Amino acid sequence: MKSFIPKEVETLWTLFTAPTVWALHFVVCYATVAVFCAKRLPASFTFDDVRVVLVVVTLLALAMIVLSAFLAWRQWGFGSGDPPHDEPTREDRRYFQGFATLLLSGLSFAAVAYAAIPLIFIAECQP
Amino acid sequence: MTVELGNFSPEERAAQEERLRKVWQTPKGIRYWTSVNNSEIGLWYGVTAFVFMLFAGLLGLLMRVQLAVPENDFISAELFNQAFTLHGTVMMFLFAVPIFEAVAIFLLPSMLGARELPFPRLSAFGFWSFLIGGIFVCGSIFFNAAPNAGWFMYPPLATDKQYSGIGADIWLLGLSFIEVASIAAAVEIIVGIMKCRAPGMRINLMPMFAWYLLIVAGMILFAFPPLIAGDILFEMERMFDWPFFDVRRGGDPLLWQHLFWIFGHPEVYIIFLPAIALMAMIVPTFSQRPIVGYSWIVLAAVGTGFLSFGLWVHHMFTTGLPQISLAFFSAASEAVAIPTGVQIFVFIATMLAGRVIFSVPMLFGTGGLIIFVIGGLTGVMVALVPFDWQAHDTYFVVAHLHYVLIGGMLFPVVAGIYYYFPFVTGKKLSDAWGKVAFWLMFAGFNIAFFPMHFSGLRGMPRRVFTYPENIGWDWFNLVSTIGAFVFAAGIATFVVDILRPKPEPKERNLNPWNSGTLEWTNDPSESWGMRSVPIITSRYPLWDQPDLQADIEAGRYYLPDARSGKRETLVTSVLDAEPIQCLRVGGVSHVTIIAATALGGVFIALTFHWWITTVICAVITFAAIIIWLWTGTAPIPEAPETDVGLGLKLPIYVSGPASVGWWAMFITMVGDGTAFASLIFGYFFYWTIHDDFAVAAGPGVFWPMVALVLFVIAWGLTLLTRELNERWPLGARVALVAAFLATVAASLAGLAGPYMYGMDPTSHVYPAIVWIVAIWTVAHGAVGAIMQAYCLARSLAGLMTAEYDQDIRNVALYWHFMGVTAVVTFAVIGLFPLVAS
Amino acid sequence: MFSRPAAAATNGSGRMNNDRLTGACRPIRSEKNCGPPAFQSRCRRFIRPFISSLLSCPFLIACSGVQSTLDPAGREAADVAALFLAMLAGAVVIWAGVAGLLFYAARQKRGHSEKGAGQLILWGGAIFPTVVLAALLSYTVWLMPNVRPWFQGEEGRMRIEVTGEQFWWRVRYLEEGGNVAFETANEVRLPIGERVVFSLKTPDVIHSFWIPVLGGKMDMIPGRENRLTLLAEKPGTYRGVCAEFCGASHALMAFTVHAVEKPAFETWMTARRASSGAQDAEGLALFLKHGCSACHAISGTEAQGRIGPDLTAFGERGSVAAGTLPNLEEHIARFIRDPDRIKPKVLMPHFSMLPEAETDRIAAYLKGLK
Repeated sequence: MKSFIPKEVETLWTLFTAPTVWALHFVVCYATVAVFCAKRLPASFTFDDVRVVLVVVTLLALAMIVLSAFLAWRQWGFGSGDPPHDEPTREDRRYFQGFATLLLSGLSFAAVAYAAIPLIFIAECQP
Repeated sequence: MTVELGNFSPEERAAQEERLRKVWQTPKGIRYWTSVNNSEIGLWYGVTAFVFMLFAGLLGLLMRVQLAVPENDFISAELFNQAFTLHGTVMMFLFAVPIFEAVAIFLLPSMLGARELPFPRLSAFGFWSFLIGGIFVCGSIFFNAAPNAGWFMYPPLATDKQYSGIGADIWLLGLSFIEVASIAAAVEIIVGIMKCRAPGMRINLMPMFAWYLLIVAGMILFAFPPLIAGDILFEMERMFDWPFFDVRRGGDPLLWQHLFWIFGHPEVYIIFLPAIALMAMIVPTFSQRPIVGYSWIVLAAVGTGFLSFGLWVHHMFTTGLPQISLAFFSAASEAVAIPTGVQIFVFIATMLAGRVIFSVPMLFGTGGLIIFVIGGLTGVMVALVPFDWQAHDTYFVVAHLHYVLIGGMLFPVVAGIYYYFPFVTGKKLSDAWGKVAFWLMFAGFNIAFFPMHFSGLRGMPRRVFTYPENIGWDWFNLVSTIGAFVFAAGIATFVVDILRPKPEPKERNLNPWNSGTLEWTNDPSESWGMRSVPIITSRYPLWDQPDLQADIEAGRYYLPDARSGKRETLVTSVLDAEPIQCLRVGGVSHVTIIAATALGGVFIALTFHWWITTVICAVITFAAIIIWLWTGTAPIPEAPETDVGLGLKLPIYVSGPASVGWWAMFITMVGDGTAFASLIFGYFFYWTIHDDFAVAAGPGVFWPMVALVLFVIAWGLTLLTRELNERWPLGARVALVAAFLATVAASLAGLAGPYMYGMDPTSHVYPAIVWIVAIWTVAHGAVGAIMQAYCLARSLAGLMTAEYDQDIRNVALYWHFMGVTAVVTFAVIGLFPLVAS
Repeated sequence: MFSRPAAAATNGSGRMNNDRLTGACRPIRSEKNCGPPAFQSRCRRFIRPFISSLLSCPFLIACSGVQSTLDPAGREAADVAALFLAMLAGAVVIWAGVAGLLFYAARQKRGHSEKGAGQLILWGGAIFPTVVLAALLSYTVWLMPNVRPWFQGEEGRMRIEVTGEQFWWRVRYLEEGGNVAFETANEVRLPIGERVVFSLKTPDVIHSFWIPVLGGKMDMIPGRENRLTLLAEKPGTYRGVCAEFCGASHALMAFTVHAVEKPAFETWMTARRASSGAQDAEGLALFLKHGCSACHAISGTEAQGRIGPDLTAFGERGSVAAGTLPNLEEHIARFIRDPDRIKPKVLMPHFSMLPEAETDRIAAYLKGLK
């Protein structure tokens, strides 16, 4: 298990992990239904198959966000040091990054979950 | 970071100040306009944007007079249509976006503790572009030639030359020009925030304004390029009859709607976030405490930045797309309300945890929030698909968007002007005038726009120049018109307050509001910005670092002197802001005005199809830019290192990812890549709507593959040059020549495919999109070849050496993007037809 | 500049004719009851005064007009109006809460704890909206396929093809097999209690077909055919409009909607199939002589032009020029003489060179068509 978890990296980019997962999930959902409804591709699929595929994609995305949240929590020292993280130290800068990333993971989780709601209620390509 | 602060005698200090003053001085007389100082450019930018806002506001009043009573004939239908098109266009492109660029350019250096942003000449270029483009677009209405198809320019109405005349060209070309200015500002802002913060200002100590601006500038990079791509397709249709949006030849008007709104919705947040950023500076000051929930603000800014790209189809809920697609966008549109809610609660929490001093900036700020919350709540409503089916394109949406933009943007900007006025001029605006202006604006706004919710729900569509009597809209419209004039009276009061002469303050007080952030240490009467660049250990250094102000002014920190006679600022590391370079930035220059004017000439001449003028202006632009680069970038310094004070020596010249130029290239190319991705999106979009797309005669496989291989070779040779340059200059030059030749050959091969197969771009959308993608790539190839030639010339002139190799490193970075663009282009146009059939 | 319609009717010299729209709604005003009788009379009495219009009617569903989404006569519009009222109630509560909190925060002087304030952000700013929005989103996503259900085929459905053109509506009633039963313009008649499928097209620019009292709008986009199903529930006469900006006279592109009982609808269909414009031979002769038939069709005659609106049974229509003028002989004559003045950039050429008597005669002929 341990080997699955990436090492801690010192960069600003990690802040954007969870929203990027949301963006990818969103694009995959949108592009899949757009191509399916316009071209009926892949031909052997029904709409229900597409829904199942996208539910799986959603679960994967949520799992990645949870992983990102875990990494953020680790960066935040597993919750050690409450906000506001405003000391001029490397430690507080890391805690700040961790905490902000954790918050963004939460928002991204909600946004991905929102995007899954249409998969529950809409059963056709109807306009 | 514990360092011994500098200590200078009064004589030394005076000598330092003299040198600094000389280096940073603003020219006098006519040459004043060649200034590139951030405080000048920021001010010009802001004033120009504000004037455009007043102009667009007058157009709004014109419309309100026409709609005051049913069946009015105050203005003609044609003038009304021009007025509402220009009102929207000017407010969005010439006020809302530029005003934030202005504020950012003006404030950021002081806020971050930098002397100047890294590319002052680029800011100046952006400003002049904006001014020329803006006057061109606004002026058109006086010649009855203004765009008249709505600020959204939907084809086929806007592509119909009979209907729109040259108005649509003015819109497309004028705004493309302004978009260039916005992207220039985005580059400047991102690099400035990432690399030019004062030592010690780690990212957890950055002012919130900077966080917001960083996100907004990033959004510009992804939001504006799709519109530029759309503009290119649109203008090709208008100018050369390439049928991108003409359904008879396979085009589709919906592609424009996608590209426009991929830009258009993030645009709303690009406007909104900087205004909220001003609030995030004002609220802590007047609550007399640090903000509560700094990390939440970062969550809100980043979250909004991302989610705003998943909203664009909510402008297209009635176009007949599958319901499931609509629902995805509805979901994202609801989700974006969460970070917005967080934002508002952060302000409330900060006020709760502090003791609020209520003054005019707070009045405008909280008044704006109260209005904005209504706009947010109606935003939640219109983002729900069934409700939007009813509300879309009605006055309900007009009400909603004005509540959002005026509450979320105009009021906070006015609050910001009241707050920062002493920072700009050293004098405060009047409290009494401010209160009158606020109440007039607040009351007038609500009287004008609240009734529109109901006229909209009662079925009144948008963009109507008249309406019938007795179907339930009469009173609402009359009330709206009255309110609009009250609102305008409020704005007029505010303008008078700004313009009226104000007495000199009795005593010098740089920080009249007792703010905590760094910009308030600046003396507006000096143009050097920070007297010395301080070491920061707090989010609110003026509150927490007791002697900061005095130490800065005594020159006890970094860069207290300007011995080199050049404009210098510090570059620090991204996360922890450790000093890494002493950067020399460009000074006074007229090359920026020439470049901007000539580029403006290109766009204006294109509008009127004056081909020769276009070519002449293009050549001048090109020459000006080359001169600018040759003389202004990457000069070899007199010594590798310089003393920046406090015993620290820093390199003057760095190259590769450590340099600001590399980052500017990277950021520009990200935007460029987004535009390219939009064109590729167009290719596949057409594929989804046509059964026979890419089945008809295409560019073949052979030539695209030749082009692909040659571009990859040129890419490889460019990288080889970069490596060779360090050890074997002659080899590097040979490799450059080879790379240049490969690029030229690759570009020709790229065009050979569509040309040899006789693809007629006016016959159908398929050849047209293949041509445009190929031309895009080849044009980038041409730029790549020019860069290679430039490096060769620099190397031969001894300006690029093994040690000082910024040029080739930046060009190599360009070529990474170039290589990917070429591979994607030729793989798609050459190989996708095989897959599709 | 604020010339009132009554005065303008006589001068007629403005750049545009001011009485153009006068009463356009009057002939097409709703015939239905708005609420119970007592309420109705109260509403009538107060319909004019400012206060009622501003304060009472917005918050009440009834009596807000023939084009109001708050006065629904169809399933979709009713569901959306109910949704709106629920959201409005919620929005008022939330707004009052936030504004109250803001006001309190600005006024209080004790300075609450930072921890408490942080909790407020978490619960008020993040968790509360997340939960409320999830519920709202779920409900409306569920509602979408319910108000606009999907029909695989259209067998047995009433179908009407509407084409938006600059600046009028071509309306074709389709037979079971998809053939055109007959064509009309700027007027849609549909039976109540039955889902009607609209096929929406356009040959020129984007328009949007919208009948606010029945349901949401749907765009008409060149090269595409959009479908919209509407279910009318209350009989009455309503107004529909173009909701997407489509050029100079976008504001003057409306149509009349008649929702009628099924038997009355069947009767009308039969009568409409048989109507002929050949009775008034003299009027018809003038109509043909001046070339009107190049663009306009009148069934049962030689006039078979397809460019402009079909004029069969024109006399029964509620308005002239797509909801712009009441259908009176004088308005018809004026429109024939100078259409551009009434409707800027309209495609119909002017006929001001014709002798006045002849235009009047043609107008009388058209008004007489049943």
